[in-house]
Amino acid sequence: MDELTSTFVNESRDQLTAMEDGLLRLEQNPGDTDNLNAIFRAAHTIKGGSGVVESTFIEAFTHRVENVLDKLRNGEIPVSGELSTVMLECCDHIGALLAVLAAGLPQPAAELQARGDALLARLSEQFLDGRQAAGGAPGAELPVEHGSDLEASGGVVVHTDAWHISIRFGTGVLRNGMDPLSFLQYLSSLGEIIAITTLADGMPAAAEMDPECCYLGFEIRFQTRASKAQIEQVFEFVRDDCALRILPPHSKISEYIELINALPEDPMRLGEILIRSGALTTAELEEGLALQTGTHTVTADGAAARPLPIGDILVDQKVVHRELVDAAASRQTVIAEKKAVEARMVRVHADKLDQLIDLVGEMVIAGAGANLLAQRSGQSDLMESTSILLRLVEDIRDSALQLRMVQIGETFNRFNRVIRDSSRELGKSIDLVITGAETELDKSVVEKLGDPLMHLVRNAIDHGIEGAALRAERGKPENGTVQLNAYHDSGSVVIEVSDDGGGLPRDKIRNKAIDKGLLDASATPSDQEITNLIFEAGFSTADQVTNISGRGVGMDVVRRNIQSLRGSIEVASIEGEGSTFTIRLPLTLAIIDGFLTGVGKASYVVPLDSVVECIELADVPGERNYLNLRGEVLPFVRLRELFDIGGEAPARQNVVIVQYAGHKAGLVVDALLGEFQTVIKPLGALFKHLRGIGGSTILGTGDVALIVDVAALVERASARESQRLSQRLPAAIA
Amino acid sequence: MAKTIFLVDDSATILLSVSSILGKAGYTVEKAASAEEALQKFSAGVKVDLLITDLNMPGMNGIELIKKVRSLGPYRFLPILFLTTESQQSRKLEAKAAGASGWIVKPATADDLLNTIKLVIR
Repeated sequence: MDELTSTFVNESRDQLTAMEDGLLRLEQNPGDTDNLNAIFRAAHTIKGGSGVVESTFIEAFTHRVENVLDKLRNGEIPVSGELSTVMLECCDHIGALLAVLAAGLPQPAAELQARGDALLARLSEQFLDGRQAAGGAPGAELPVEHGSDLEASGGVVVHTDAWHISIRFGTGVLRNGMDPLSFLQYLSSLGEIIAITTLADGMPAAAEMDPECCYLGFEIRFQTRASKAQIEQVFEFVRDDCALRILPPHSKISEYIELINALPEDPMRLGEILIRSGALTTAELEEGLALQTGTHTVTADGAAARPLPIGDILVDQKVVHRELVDAAASRQTVIAEKKAVEARMVRVHADKLDQLIDLVGEMVIAGAGANLLAQRSGQSDLMESTSILLRLVEDIRDSALQLRMVQIGETFNRFNRVIRDSSRELGKSIDLVITGAETELDKSVVEKLGDPLMHLVRNAIDHGIEGAALRAERGKPENGTVQLNAYHDSGSVVIEVSDDGGGLPRDKIRNKAIDKGLLDASATPSDQEITNLIFEAGFSTADQVTNISGRGVGMDVVRRNIQSLRGSIEVASIEGEGSTFTIRLPLTLAIIDGFLTGVGKASYVVPLDSVVECIELADVPGERNYLNLRGEVLPFVRLRELFDIGGEAPARQNVVIVQYAGHKAGLVVDALLGEFQTVIKPLGALFKHLRGIGGSTILGTGDVALIVDVAALVERASARESQRLSQRLPAAIA
Repeated sequence: MAKTIFLVDDSATILLSVSSILGKAGYTVEKAASAEEALQKFSAGVKVDLLITDLNMPGMNGIELIKKVRSLGPYRFLPILFLTTESQQSRKLEAKAAGASGWIVKPATADDLLNTIKLVIR
């Protein structure tokens, strides 16, 4: 795919998204002209671009779509549900056509072509035909008369093979950026200017003259093979504010006379000019003048009108009139045309960004190394300059990472369409509520989030929201609600998909899990644990499988997808009231602010966003792994034990208190080494199953430090403590 | 000296294709993807011999841009062409009234484009 085509394809995909959003909004608010204009503009841009890349199949299809949108915009056809449906399908089809173009195929496959034709047929059947007949009426008023009267008025033919052009430039041409000379120069590229007379008769007295105005006129004899249309085209831009007369070779003398009469200058003077330039001979002029007096006498007592102006000019004037009316009408809509989404963007290839992030990562590491050396050297000047450098590196890092951040809103908005289509299919009425659309997260995360979200939303529509009858029975509003929400929470992004449907049937899940051997029949799991069983492989409780949600292969895949993004997913559900799926994702995948700690000789990095506070480890009751944090029970994990690090613990140990998803836990370490910019290097495949370690990084010294996986450690700490608790409790009771 | 043409269009496809045609024809091309961006460059005194702008753009449209550019002292006599389609005849007058010199009807061949440009700059 060449650069132009790929630009076109990318751009058109954006436009399609905009068009689709617009169409969905249109249903809610049919009178929104701004929106209509935006939809039209999107289709128009795609069509325009397809012409440029010479993709006729896209152009042809989009052209018809544009026609319908134009009618919609002009109020010739009303906004309706069917229209939106067809239009949305057209969007899909354009998307498919773009894929064909992107794949480098010369034309769409027969099947796709047939689908497009069917859509077009529907379009013209429902929205174009009939109306088009009415719309075609203005075309009929295009003037077709062609100076037949002129010929009838007869007169001697002037024997010359040159055109005669009379032009009086309007005073405003210069101010409109036009240079009369450039027109003449262009004219001479079409043929030869035999004679040219400059008329400055319109020039006012020096005192009244505006030096920025043009007062000139020209009489030109012009020899060319070009057609009249071509000559007219030269003056097309100035025609509206110029007096222009073009006489073809061998025109009748009467036409010359009319020309002379029509021009503002003194006829005698013009006659002289014509004679001098060789357009007319004296004899011809005299004959013509005589003829004109003759016709005048005829008109005086006859019913015929004044001498006919040159037909073409009449035509022009008619056209101009109609345009003026149109312009006045359209001006109002144009003024109302509001500023749409103001998107000033630079498109950059994702690879380039990744490369930049990589380099910034290397720079962070190198900077840390330089800083360390400076501190060791003890030179205060050097330390100062490296600290400035380090601060700048930090800023660069933040800006570079910001480049990859995108708002999640675009991903969310896609679901408007999903909700609309699937709710129609299932005969449920469902509203989508989107909040936190402006929440930003890493683009690569957003891209991988689409599928899991789609699955959750479809599940909510299909299994979550009840049918109308059941809803009424439960006293819920008729319209179901699916809500998408996003927000930032201590270094992670939280995305919630919730519905006000039936919730997860706990008993059903439990029985099913026992059936499938996922759960021991004697086990007494907590409610939370039961609901989270749905993330196990091969789990589906839907009695009926519909094509909206899948066949129960989904939730475990959803969880795997989220986990591969270093995120987690859980579900909270109240039976009969609804469910909320909560996805937690790290803000970025590349560089984080870390908190460096030491255990023995090893270094561990705790993501700074999850660190709440640090305290000294003291007053630990026995061998129990919890401490009293201002009256709160805080479980902790000794990293020395956990990672089996040899050597004696120092007399003084510290606890880093971290928080994840609302739970707090302590990590016991030997030393607190302070904040550290951490470039995350993923662990190799060999260490994939390692729990408690999220990645590695390189320190300024060149040593490797491991990044702890706070989520896993917090879970471990709380699980262990409750386990011990439950083991001891029966003993205590006994 | 090569003439500079300032091209304003929100469509990246148009920007790329037109600027490559102009570039091959020996013009220097300045580009802006929105009227606002263009206006900023004009306010900064960008040196151009011709402005070619699209009319339908999100945000400020081409007609407003033409009006604003025309009202800037140094560009009172700047030739301005706008890109339009057959279907937008009515807007021609409006754009002319705003101070445009002429128009280019899309879709235009490279020859159409270059000829029209020759019409307004010497």
